[in-house]
Amino acid sequence: MKELRPPPKQMHRPSRSRPEIYTAVYRPESEMRRPLQLFNRMWQDLLASRELAWQLLKRDISAQYRQSFLGYAWAIIPPIVTAAGFTFASNAKVLNVGTTDLPYPAYVMFSTVLWQTFSEAITLPMRNMAQSKMLLAKINFPREALILSSMGQVFFNFAIKLILIVGMFLWFGMPVAASVILAPVALVHLVLFGIMFGTLLAPLSALYKDFAKGVPLLIGMWLFLTPVVYPVPSGEGLFGFFVKLNPVTPLLVTTRELATTGVLSDPQGFWWASLVALVGLMFAWLLYRLAMPYAIERMSS
Amino acid sequence: MTLMASNQKVVSTPQSDDVVLSVQGVSKKFCRDLKRSLLYGVRDIGKEFLGLRGEKNDKLRKKEFWALQDVSFELRRGEALGLVGKNGSGKSTLLRIIAGLIKPDVGMVRVNGRVAPLIALGAGFNPVLTGRENIYANMSILGLSKEEIDERFDEVVEFAEIGEAIDSPVQSYSSGMAARLGFASAIHTNPDILLIDEVLAVGDLKFRAKCNRKLFRLRQNGATFILVSHNSQVLLSACNSAIYLALGKVVTSGEAKSVVVKYENDLFLNEAAGKSKDSCITEEINNDEFREIKINDCVFIDDQGRIVELLKTSEAVTLCLRCTAYERVDEVIVRLIFRELSDFNELVLELSSKADEEELVMELGENDVLIHLSYLGLKPGLYSLRVLIEAGARNTCDRVDSFTFRVQSSTIMSNCSFYQPRSWKISNS
Repeated sequence: MKELRPPPKQMHRPSRSRPEIYTAVYRPESEMRRPLQLFNRMWQDLLASRELAWQLLKRDISAQYRQSFLGYAWAIIPPIVTAAGFTFASNAKVLNVGTTDLPYPAYVMFSTVLWQTFSEAITLPMRNMAQSKMLLAKINFPREALILSSMGQVFFNFAIKLILIVGMFLWFGMPVAASVILAPVALVHLVLFGIMFGTLLAPLSALYKDFAKGVPLLIGMWLFLTPVVYPVPSGEGLFGFFVKLNPVTPLLVTTRELATTGVLSDPQGFWWASLVALVGLMFAWLLYRLAMPYAIERMSS
Repeated sequence: MTLMASNQKVVSTPQSDDVVLSVQGVSKKFCRDLKRSLLYGVRDIGKEFLGLRGEKNDKLRKKEFWALQDVSFELRRGEALGLVGKNGSGKSTLLRIIAGLIKPDVGMVRVNGRVAPLIALGAGFNPVLTGRENIYANMSILGLSKEEIDERFDEVVEFAEIGEAIDSPVQSYSSGMAARLGFASAIHTNPDILLIDEVLAVGDLKFRAKCNRKLFRLRQNGATFILVSHNSQVLLSACNSAIYLALGKVVTSGEAKSVVVKYENDLFLNEAAGKSKDSCITEEINNDEFREIKINDCVFIDDQGRIVELLKTSEAVTLCLRCTAYERVDEVIVRLIFRELSDFNELVLELSSKADEEELVMELGENDVLIHLSYLGLKPGLYSLRVLIEAGARNTCDRVDSFTFRVQSSTIMSNCSFYQPRSWKISNS
């Protein structure tokens, strides 16, 4: 006769399989001395930070617009005001900007939207970092999430402004080139170029307050060297030279041209600037990661 | 826990597969000067980026000090380690290095498993958003996926006792509610290693008890703890081993009770040293009509008549009141009122020579009133003694309003509200 055995007790199992053992080693020496391990960790953390970035993005967007009467309208009010101001000045002949390939109000509005998207890409990582100081000082979450969520915020804000741009196309009866489907690619490059600066400056701005004050000032000056309220200068002068040298010029102009005329004035410059953005972003990411423990050390916990 | 002496000798038998946390010779330096600290920060970032930072950064730069020096220990699964030490002794720095927030300057930390700090995240909540939204944001910061949060959500809300308010903005919560919610979301992340920094002071008594039960259950399930607390009772009930840090160095480590006793005695000693000089504050009563006796001094002495600075529970001691009598007093009544200096200044003991039916007579001139206590029954702590000398009923001659003294213990007094003299034997009849 067989021996009767009670059925084996069901083991308590975790609801979701996790990596079996997560080992971390913290050493004093520079992480650059183990580059393969470092790059591997960066990649792992980037993957791990996607979901967190999404949660942070949702949190920040809802918080941003909930405590405001005009809400999402705040995304489109500034470009309208800027365009109105410059159009008024231009019509009154106070400002002489020459001819643009689009109706001037549309030109200013569209360019301002692009410029604002770029400048947000610089400032949002810094602002998010300042806002999460307390969490950064206490919890070791993948730091990449802050940058990813800033990037998400930049694109979200742009998406709202897109309504304005679509309305503008309809209002002025502007034709849309087939190349418009490539415009997002150029826009992404423009945003990545901004994020590169944001990532680079975020840990430094956690150390020195000077960055929080100086960066908006520099962005304001930069605006004047970028064809936002005036067309790309054709002249050989010093000003024209600086505008051409400015890497934001080809990125912004190409995005605008792809969406409107479809005729690219400086494709080569665009690719050079894109290369700078991508390589620079990798460097910025590396510095951001390496600088973080030192910045956190100097935050009050 | 395996404690390693500075010569790196492992004290207990090594079972390396079970070790979840290993801290080896960790040191960390900080700078007192803010400007200089920022400058060093930028320099260190540069060195880090260029790969110039080596394994040992043991030279102190100008205005730097060691916040942590040569700390080593190992923790196995399910163990609990207590950290004691005064503020600024390096406890939080150690936790921050273990959490991977800041880098050590010397030494190495190896962690096997998920580390989570158990901190009340109430302060990290966004006040405009609802409790629900904040739970999702905060628990994902603590490393949980959306599915994991979905699964635990109801449990968190129930634990925090938030109820219907979960869909209201957090700014409408009371501070207690926000703290409870923050704590509940932190405690439900089920990490392998929990870093608990003075957090159990959150919420009311009932909630604290609930947290302690939850922590106990987590530990039974194999979680490892590191607990920082100033409350020795909490520490002793939760931890089997402890480390006592002072000025960044390990003073002593090992079995929790002996470490805590050492720490408390040091703490009392330091404070007593600061106070002992003027701990005896004699306030005379300026009432000329009844001033027959004046108290000159109030001290504790031992059998040999030497002054005892620091009293020990269970030992014999004599309270000596040095008095001057301006005339012979037939009916001297001495009253001693002991209060424990705590939040409530609780009355713990009142002795009166009248109640004891002692007939004391004081001759003209210098007199010592000796009150012999064959076993000091007071538990360790800080006490204030009020002395009243009366000549006959309701005739106060002089008094000492507050004579402050400290009692420490060489025996464990946890769960004892007073010392009970005793002896043990088994009688076989």
